[in-house]
Amino acid sequence: MNSSRSLGLMLLTPAIVLVVLFFLVPVALTAVFSFTNMSTATGITGGAYQIGPSSLQRLGDKYGFPELAERLSQPSYVIDERGLVALDAAGVDASTITEMRTHLGEVFPTRREAERMIKGLSARPSTREVKQISEQFNRSLLDTRYESEGDLLAGLDALGVEVTPAERDAVAASSYSGWTWTTDNFRRMVSTPDTLRTLINTVFYVAIVLVLFNTGYAMFLAITTYYMPETTGGIFRSIWLLPRITPPVIYVLMWKWLAWDTGFISMFLGQFGVAPKNWMLDSSTNAWVFVILINGFVGASMGMPVFSSALRAIPKSQFYASEVDGASRWQQIRYIILPQMRWPILFVTCYQTLSLLASFDLILLSTEGGPGGATEVWSLMTYHTALNNYAGNLEYGYGTALSLVLVVIGVTLSLIYLRVFNYNALVAKPLIEQ
Amino acid sequence: MATQTQVSANFKSWPVILALAIVSLPLIVMYLYFFIDTITDSAPGSLIPNAITFRHWDFLWQARGNRPSIWPVALNTLVFATTVTIIVLLVSSTAGYVLSRLNVPGRGFFLAGVMVLHAFPSVTLIVAIFLVLQMVGLYNSLYGVILVKAALEMPLGIWLMKGFYDTVPWEIEMAGIADGASRFTVFRRLVLPQVRPALMALGLFAFLSSWSEYILPQVLAPGAKAQVLSVYLASLIADDNNFDLSLFKAVGVFYIIPVLILFLFFQKHLMNIYGGGSKG
Repeated sequence: MNSSRSLGLMLLTPAIVLVVLFFLVPVALTAVFSFTNMSTATGITGGAYQIGPSSLQRLGDKYGFPELAERLSQPSYVIDERGLVALDAAGVDASTITEMRTHLGEVFPTRREAERMIKGLSARPSTREVKQISEQFNRSLLDTRYESEGDLLAGLDALGVEVTPAERDAVAASSYSGWTWTTDNFRRMVSTPDTLRTLINTVFYVAIVLVLFNTGYAMFLAITTYYMPETTGGIFRSIWLLPRITPPVIYVLMWKWLAWDTGFISMFLGQFGVAPKNWMLDSSTNAWVFVILINGFVGASMGMPVFSSALRAIPKSQFYASEVDGASRWQQIRYIILPQMRWPILFVTCYQTLSLLASFDLILLSTEGGPGGATEVWSLMTYHTALNNYAGNLEYGYGTALSLVLVVIGVTLSLIYLRVFNYNALVAKPLIEQ
Repeated sequence: MATQTQVSANFKSWPVILALAIVSLPLIVMYLYFFIDTITDSAPGSLIPNAITFRHWDFLWQARGNRPSIWPVALNTLVFATTVTIIVLLVSSTAGYVLSRLNVPGRGFFLAGVMVLHAFPSVTLIVAIFLVLQMVGLYNSLYGVILVKAALEMPLGIWLMKGFYDTVPWEIEMAGIADGASRFTVFRRLVLPQVRPALMALGLFAFLSSWSEYILPQVLAPGAKAQVLSVYLASLIADDNNFDLSLFKAVGVFYIIPVLILFLFFQKHLMNIYGGGSKG
């Protein structure tokens, strides 16, 4: 018992690690990230604190401290060691630096006051030199990056800015550039008209491709090639496997060649005087026809092998017997084949629904959701939101919220399938008990 | 089925053959011209080639424009596909055996988990996986995509191997145990040789699937160093400045040849998986 158990756990470990890293963690993170406003602008790791024009704007408008914002936007001058070193590097003579050192730690709220002090030095620097020196001690908070809230507040203290606790919090909150928690993603999803349109597109696309090709046409192929002489049937089955084994990039390239304005359809119809055009992208109807055909042909080559092997498992004697009884071929299909294909059909429908819902590579490569978003489906919208778009600001938070919808559907349906395909029958008790 | 013509002797099959030939025509035309166009030239506006040329293939010995040479990209693809295949085979053959034969706690739970994962559309996790790779610093590296692809292929692999181990007779193992071998020795020396066809089929499937994979490398490792052929070809096609269908097709043929060779020689093995149904 013990050896089998420890060996089993050891052999399972790599699989468990991979499942945790690339299934469980991403599922959890999809849920977590969907409640953030993470994007390219906020970064994905924790953010930083930085007071800048926009954060001061927020501090004034949103948090109601316009006067504090005004104060922070002013430069302020601190005589510190860093500045003295900079003076030395800038070639200011040593006696001036020594004299400046007596003012170490003094804070001047405005440039004028700082420069008045510098003018009073015994070296009597010229106006140009005064400017040069004062510049080294400009310690404004503006555009300085702080890694944590503590650093930011320490920076405030060093400047001698006196703030109340409420003001401190407001400064920290308004200057934070990282992502924050929010439920706006879901509100936005429900209120944007694009979402509804994409939803309708998705349902239409999945239903049509599934019914017409993945099951309907795949079944047609399986049955017709079953009745053909072996070699002829084999040839057709091989042809209809091609879309499946062809890498998607090449497969879509062929369709583009077919539909492009210098492609096959344009040239062929050109012989009859039809002007060449891009048949795939010139109207949304055409785009849909191509999207459905491109996905449908692949879908047919997913379903066809399943149905073919299920057909071959039907005992031949049933066909012989029905022939003797004078059954027509249609009656054979109707009363012998289809009733026994219930499980393969259910299987293909279940698995392909999820597959069609989630995969977007063929649409991305062919129409990219165009023209004008006409063929945008949910999974592609996720990709366009979070992973690649023309605007360049990738909205990870909203993108994960969109994909969370698919993840929830995926998990729910997969769990239901577990029930449907009665898995208890598959767990046989081990016969060796050690 | 040789007997099939006999069964259906009283039916004419040519109308069906004709109908199928007509609906298959787009595929046949596409694939035919896919190969023909790479070694021929034809006059503008004409579909009939008038000259044989190898100039579309010059990407093999010289880099085109600002594109990198194709050989490092091809090497990346080979490394990617091979490594994924090895990982999938190692992980699935061991985990499948455990789920089929060994008495581990929670075996039913693990098996249910694998079934759920097999049905689950893993590509929906791509945004989260992208963010994870960014955080751990594996973004834009071939290692990251290899791990992700292997992990996503694994549920199918475990499921498949479990099914094949189920068909191995228990008597083989009982004999091994009776002769004093440990469970691990029995697994490695007696059971693994029995499922060699399954390993072959799964290996081929994993290799072809990774060789063809586009979305994962495109999203997780689009950089020049980790580029694979699918991403290379897609970016070539997307580049509006150099639109040259014959070049695209030549690169495409270069890319698809290994697939076709493997498919021609090992079709029987692959049909084991395709016929059993995978979401693909």
